[in-house]
Amino acid sequence: MSRKRIKHEVRNEGLILTSLVDIALSLVIGFIVALPFFFESGIFVSQPGVAKAVNGQESDVKVNIFLTNDGRIILNEKAVPKETLSSLLPQLLARSVSKRVIVSSDDRVRYDDVVQILDLAKQSGAADLCLLRTSKIR
Amino acid sequence: MTKNANIDILPMACVGLLLVIMMIMTAPMTMTHSNTRVTVPKTHTAERKTEEDITITLAKDGKLYLNDQLTDRLELEDQLGEVIDKDPYCLVVVRADKDVYHKDVLDLIAIAKQAGATRIACATKKRKD
Repeated sequence: MSRKRIKHEVRNEGLILTSLVDIALSLVIGFIVALPFFFESGIFVSQPGVAKAVNGQESDVKVNIFLTNDGRIILNEKAVPKETLSSLLPQLLARSVSKRVIVSSDDRVRYDDVVQILDLAKQSGAADLCLLRTSKIR
Repeated sequence: MTKNANIDILPMACVGLLLVIMMIMTAPMTMTHSNTRVTVPKTHTAERKTEEDITITLAKDGKLYLNDQLTDRLELEDQLGEVIDKDPYCLVVVRADKDVYHKDVLDLIAIAKQAGATRIACATKKRKD
């Protein structure tokens, strides 16, 4: 009876790291995508100062938004629902040169409500957001 | 007979990658002052980039913090003025709780402007939907 000798060849195969690298790369991409949700960002705002009046009428389209205590939104002295505001704002800002939105509110308006309006204005294409303080006339 | 001995740089690359991830994650924490817990409003737009800033925090209970240090409105303008004198273009971030009144936030912005701030931002968090 003849015995067959099985030769075991020792191959010098390196560790297959392709899958590991893939996972690591996926993790990196996941981190980069998720980072903005972990950390705070912000919206730039300004408070208009008193400027010297210039001669002649200004022809630029104005976007003045006022929030009342009872939740109404007044756009250029006309009450509008929020749904209408989101459709009107892009149209107004498209015609405006300065693309400035001035937001003011009553005393008892929550900060979150104002920020939502600022967010909507930014999404609609506003370049400059101004927060106006209103003082009561006595 | 010569052996082709290469240096395996893969572990080093992995460690390097880990270090980069750690740095990306920790940099905003060290540069901003957002340790005081407030619920900032959530928005779709995110304009502000991470940079060294002065943070004014207004908590829901009305407590006021400057760079996570408790302060009051009377001292705030002087403290802000000192910092802004050194760096006039420093970003002032107003971190206010979403449930506070807007007029209180406006008062803080007015104080910052009086102290000489030129760049003011309201802190928000990016909405997930």
